[in-house]
Amino acid sequence: MANSAPLIARAQKQRSENMQEGVILSYTTVHNPPEGFPSSPRRVALIELADGKKVMGLVPGNAPLAIGLRVLPRMRMTQVSRQGLRRYEICYEAVESVREKQEKFPGYIIALTGPSGVGKSTVNKLLTNVVSDYVQHVPIMTTRNRKKGDGKEYRYVSTEQFLELKNRGEIIAATEIPSRSEKRWYGYRASDIEAIWEQGKVPTVITEMQLLQDLARHYGRTSILSCGLLPPGQNKRVMLSQLLHRLRNRGRDTEESIQDRLRNAEEDLKFFDERKDLFDFVFVNEDLDALIGKMKDCILSFIKPLAPQQETTL
Amino acid sequence: MEQTISLVGCGQTPFGEHWDKSLRDLIDEAITAAIDASPCTALDIDMVIVANMIGERVSGQAHLGAMAASMLPHHPPALRVEAACASGSIAIHTACSLLESGRAQNVLVVGAEKMTDASNEEIAAALMGAADSELDAPSGITFPGLFGLVAQRYMHEYGLTREDLSCVSEAHHRNAVQNPFAQFRKEVPAQQISASPLIADPLRLLDCSPISDGAAACILSNTHASSIRIAASQVSTDTVSLAQRPSLTSFNATREAIAKALKEAGVTRSDLSAVELHDCFSIAAIISLEDMGFAQPGTGVQLYKRETGLRINGSGGLKACGHPVAATGIKQIIDVSKQLSASKARWGLAHNFGGTGATCCIHVLEHANG
Repeated sequence: MANSAPLIARAQKQRSENMQEGVILSYTTVHNPPEGFPSSPRRVALIELADGKKVMGLVPGNAPLAIGLRVLPRMRMTQVSRQGLRRYEICYEAVESVREKQEKFPGYIIALTGPSGVGKSTVNKLLTNVVSDYVQHVPIMTTRNRKKGDGKEYRYVSTEQFLELKNRGEIIAATEIPSRSEKRWYGYRASDIEAIWEQGKVPTVITEMQLLQDLARHYGRTSILSCGLLPPGQNKRVMLSQLLHRLRNRGRDTEESIQDRLRNAEEDLKFFDERKDLFDFVFVNEDLDALIGKMKDCILSFIKPLAPQQETTL
Repeated sequence: MEQTISLVGCGQTPFGEHWDKSLRDLIDEAITAAIDASPCTALDIDMVIVANMIGERVSGQAHLGAMAASMLPHHPPALRVEAACASGSIAIHTACSLLESGRAQNVLVVGAEKMTDASNEEIAAALMGAADSELDAPSGITFPGLFGLVAQRYMHEYGLTREDLSCVSEAHHRNAVQNPFAQFRKEVPAQQISASPLIADPLRLLDCSPISDGAAACILSNTHASSIRIAASQVSTDTVSLAQRPSLTSFNATREAIAKALKEAGVTRSDLSAVELHDCFSIAAIISLEDMGFAQPGTGVQLYKRETGLRINGSGGLKACGHPVAATGIKQIIDVSKQLSASKARWGLAHNFGGTGATCCIHVLEHANG
């Protein structure tokens, strides 16, 4: 069954996506491979690829492996069928350098991603309120002009300052949101995130596709508890009209800026489809109270495995 | 629970290598034992639920609902359920739902697996059906391999040692000595576990539950009474592939299921005196204890090193009792009920999961005289 032609054809489609370098999250040697595979031991690793996707891949050879080791993809002949057909698969090859940042699990970061107007800021504010003992919001560095209705979550810097911080590696996640009216950069500083970890809390960030990928690359995908937030609606068109409705209703933006945002939102929705692997949970923002309750449970179950009254049991 | 669901009869075959018995024979033996042990007659059974995972692949036999029902004189309605290694507990969960809905009054639940008819390679491939066929299986990994990845990462994150890990199987083997239905009724010292052959590093042979034949059956009723009732039955799920999880060292489905189950039963962890947990591999036992909140992350193994008020896998667990996949979840319920009856304790819990924790089903049992 594993060798039927349509199955192989489908698998090959995925192949090009997995031709990336990556980092080993864990590894093992299977000494008794299942039926349909060569009987010699197989070394398999769970690898986090550069784009944040995780894959199970073969790592042939005898070189010692370690968690945190960088690997590169190679095509290898792995099997010759009884009919003499050669099968090539992606294998990963360990390279010397160990990515130090990956060596230790730094802690969780809660990332909230969603199209413009879906209510990320509102959800984030409510959420950080209800679980304020455990999480804290990371200030957003931005070059945009101060606006009426902006909360305390922004730190305003000039574009020159922003780019300098970025070049110095202090801002580890940055994105430029296209807009007709102004050039707007948004980003996060490593020092802000790490300061929250030091307080024993979990940092929460509002992201979009670029920021999410930057954070996953810097701290490792495993560190990101990635929550997607979508507007209600069964298809993209309904979702977009929901967003348009919300953006107009909140009256913070000019019609021009709303059009910009909607265009970006369309890209964001596409991102949800294409990069499902970057999301651990996807929530729909329909009933705000229910949503906050659900997110709270979900997040607490990760960052706080034992409730205080349960710790005293044994 | 919407109503009182009593466990009125239990029966099982010994788990092990039954070369002289087919899948059908195993089911028959367990069903007969359960009916004999209950206040019901066969004719009282108004629904049969069969749990089985790899019957088609190993025995060429699907359609097990009707097959089991045909062993009763009146051929009651029947169905089969599957959730990999959690099939057994899912069958109990299904039975509870049917009883609660009023669709049935006396449900016979039987879980059976015939595994030793096939080669180890065939069984390894069949069990991979519990993992993701597109994301996991193409790498040629096996279930020991998947839990090898989990164990490797756990050791990296928490500094668990080989000696620590061996405590788990050692304790389970010690418990199984007293269990007449267990596949391996002998003590195995930790040193021997640490020196057993590597299967998927860091996991060694004696970290892994064995390949077994066996069946277990029980009757759940809302008309007949007994001293044991099902106080909670809860299921949670997660991604089938490990590669899509935020963490390798903690299973979210267990965390969700335990929270729901404790709430449904109205008990706290400290009320529980017996737990049968899903130790398909030694590392799984440690992680399950942490996910169920009996220990902080990274400290689960400590519960095997010191005495606590909690009896863990008193039966010997999957490791020493054997793990005929779909029979295990039902066998756990039987063992918890036996332990509660013997100890006169009130609350016990059975934790059963499928795959690498993609389905988790937890039952809380209450003993009326406890």
